[in-house]
Amino acid sequence: MTSTLKGITLKGSAELVADFFSFGINSILYQRGIYPPETFTRVTHYDMILQQTTDPNLKNYLTDVVSQLKEWLFECTVQKLVLVITSLETNDVLERWQFDIECDKSAKESSAPREKSIKTIQDEIRSVIRQVTATVTFLPLLETPCAFDLLVYTDKDMVVPEKWVESGPQIIEQSEEVRLRSFTTSIHKVNSMVAYRKTDSF
Amino acid sequence: MDLEDDTTVLTTLKSFNSFISRTEPQQRLTERPGSGTLQGQYKRSMELLEAADRLNSTNRYLQLDQEKKQMELSHKRARFELEKTASDRTRALEHEVDRNQELLTQIKKLKERESEMERNLTEKGDANRALWKNLEALNKKLEDRDGRLSSANQTVSTLKDEVRELKQKIQNQDCTICAQTLENQELQEQLDLQRRKYQDVSQLYQSLQATQSTCSDHVIKIKELERRLALQEQDVAIMKTVKSELARVPGMEKELKNLRGDNSFLRESRENCSLLKEEVEGLRKKLERMEKMKEDLVNMELEKNRMAEKLQAWENLGQSTGLNIRKPEDLSREVIQIQQREFALKEQNYTLNSRVRSAERSHSDVCAELSEQRGKTLEEKKKRELQDTLVRRLQKRLMLLNKERDGMRAILESYDSELGSTEYSPQLSKRLKEAEDVLQRTQNHNVELEAELNKTHKEMGTLKLQLQTVELELESVKKQHAANADSSCSATKEELSILRQKIEDLEADRQRLEEQNNNLEMRLERHNLQGDYDPLKTRVLHLKMNPTSVAKQQRQQEMETIQEEVTRLRELVRSLQDGGSLVQSQDDSIVPNLGLGLPPSKEVLDLRKQMESSELKNQRLKEVFQRKIQEFRTVCYILTGYQMDITTENQYRLTSVYAEHMDDSLLFKKGSNGSMQLMETEFSKTLGEMVSLHLHHQKSIPAFLSAVTLDLFSRQTTI
Repeated sequence: MTSTLKGITLKGSAELVADFFSFGINSILYQRGIYPPETFTRVTHYDMILQQTTDPNLKNYLTDVVSQLKEWLFECTVQKLVLVITSLETNDVLERWQFDIECDKSAKESSAPREKSIKTIQDEIRSVIRQVTATVTFLPLLETPCAFDLLVYTDKDMVVPEKWVESGPQIIEQSEEVRLRSFTTSIHKVNSMVAYRKTDSF
Repeated sequence: MDLEDDTTVLTTLKSFNSFISRTEPQQRLTERPGSGTLQGQYKRSMELLEAADRLNSTNRYLQLDQEKKQMELSHKRARFELEKTASDRTRALEHEVDRNQELLTQIKKLKERESEMERNLTEKGDANRALWKNLEALNKKLEDRDGRLSSANQTVSTLKDEVRELKQKIQNQDCTICAQTLENQELQEQLDLQRRKYQDVSQLYQSLQATQSTCSDHVIKIKELERRLALQEQDVAIMKTVKSELARVPGMEKELKNLRGDNSFLRESRENCSLLKEEVEGLRKKLERMEKMKEDLVNMELEKNRMAEKLQAWENLGQSTGLNIRKPEDLSREVIQIQQREFALKEQNYTLNSRVRSAERSHSDVCAELSEQRGKTLEEKKKRELQDTLVRRLQKRLMLLNKERDGMRAILESYDSELGSTEYSPQLSKRLKEAEDVLQRTQNHNVELEAELNKTHKEMGTLKLQLQTVELELESVKKQHAANADSSCSATKEELSILRQKIEDLEADRQRLEEQNNNLEMRLERHNLQGDYDPLKTRVLHLKMNPTSVAKQQRQQEMETIQEEVTRLRELVRSLQDGGSLVQSQDDSIVPNLGLGLPPSKEVLDLRKQMESSELKNQRLKEVFQRKIQEFRTVCYILTGYQMDITTENQYRLTSVYAEHMDDSLLFKKGSNGSMQLMETEFSKTLGEMVSLHLHHQKSIPAFLSAVTLDLFSRQTTI
């Protein structure tokens, strides 16, 4: 953390938010059983026990995405991060974990740190991750083998980096949406929500 | 050591002897041929002597060498021992030197210690002296203390007295304590007694509890027994009821039979009934249809009547109105005409309305003028009043002036009369003249005023006339207005209503639009939640190699491999279904291919093994049977002289060993009852006698066969 104890800079904020995404995505993948639970190991972060993957391919992928995301967060050009869970049998999108990011672009001009302590931000992040864990109780069970993808909604005027390509929004037909908690570093505000396909039984 | 030396000598001696023994036969050998020449002999003897000398010298040399070696050895040993002793000495010396050094160091240490001790001693002496001084001071203090002690002793004696007293008190208290302990003991004894009693009681209580528990058990048992009794009673009751029911059973069976009969009858009737019902239903439907048709018919007729009436009415209308309304086109034409007329009327109405409006406008103008005129008249009235008052005042003044004048004249006359052309008369006449002038002026003024008054009166008259005309105009206008009022009012009302409606419509529109707006906003929110985005501002990116696409690729590959396998397996299954002959050859080629994808299950392997073993067994059995049969046949052939073949089912051909031709054979057929019958062949035709004798007469096939054998054998041997 480059930021001081009292305030938070744009860079520190970008790093905090990227860290949150890294841990959040890991815990979603663990909770939703996209990867087998034995490929995860326990780590302590935000004063809580979290699951982190040990699968080398997945690790590489996540570090690639998160480092690029950090850059975009620093430039304030990212609008959304979406984790899409797709069924491999039918190619249907079953779940969308959407994180809306509101950037305070004025922070780009003035480098003065904002007055919000890291502890309170981490408290907020902790509650968001707890809620993500709790959503397993009402989300429908994923019965078929599934895979996930990460979509990033960015500003149109930005240059697309190598290895990245444009994609569709992967919207779920007939979805139910549930808003989750949000947190803010006073520079980036992250609203989280989950949309899932209505089950046919109802 | 000595022993070894001896052995070496011995060995040298032995070698010497051996050497000598070797040389002797050589000498003997050389002596025999060398007897010819002396010189040669001499040379030889010289040589021999030289050789003997050489041998001796070598021997000596060897001995000396030996001695030398021995010497060297002993020398070495001595040197070794000397060295050993020297090293021991040096070691001892070193040891001594070390000890010496140690002792030296000890001496040094002791010296140091001594010096230290001396130093300590001097220090101690100083300390002693200081202690002496202290001791003296302490002695002084001690004396002081002694003094204090004696005083203290006195106090002690007094205190001892006190102590004695206190001891006496203590003794007294001890006595009381003794008494109390005695009491205590008594109480404890009592307590023990109580305890014992308590134990007894508790034991009793325990026994009581035990008995209670047994009692409760007993009670439970009793209850259980009672329950069983009740159950038994119930059972008995049930038994009784069952018995009575059993008694009723035969009657019931009869009833049952009757009922069954009834039932079958009822079933039949029910079927009939259902058939009838269906028929009834069909009929009812038909009836309904018919009724509907009837109703329709009636309706149609009614309609027809109505239509006819309408037609009549239309025709009547045409006749009554005198118009050429025979057809709807005429009507439409009429309507169009009427509409045109209406339009014309409307236009007229509009022109009238506009006129009314203009009239209104003129009316309002006139009203304004009227009010203006009224104001003017009022002003004029006021002016007149003012003029009137002025006239009155002037008249009054005139009166006053006239009176004054009269008074003045009277005074003048009196003066005239009194004085009568006295000295005052010029003055007076002057004054009179002046007064008369004034009078004249006032009179002139009066005349002017009167003229003015008249003028104003005239003006007033004209104004009044004007007023009247204006009023008249007003009235006329009012009348007009009243006439126009109705139409204009209605027009405004209509306008008002139209405007109101418009406002209402607009309000409704507004609400609708607001709702729509809300809806759209909600939808937008929902879309946003679902992940929709504005493609003008936003773009969605993801990594090319994301886990989903990777997983999809893997899945596709898997699918392909699986499909390939499936096709292969299908082919295998088809070939297996086609036939067993091909299986063996294909099995060998395909099974190894499958080995990669699908290893054959254990069951299949086991079964295959079993099959193989059973086939092998079969093969072996076949071989054994064949061998045995062959053996049996050859033995039969050799023993009986006939080769037996089965040509067709139940037919046996016998060929004799001694047959003249290859085709000569006998055919036997096995009958249904197991009897054998001879069939006719070319060969059997030649055996008519034997057939009739052995088969027809003796009825023995073996006899016949042996006879044939004998006959054939005899024929062959004779030839």
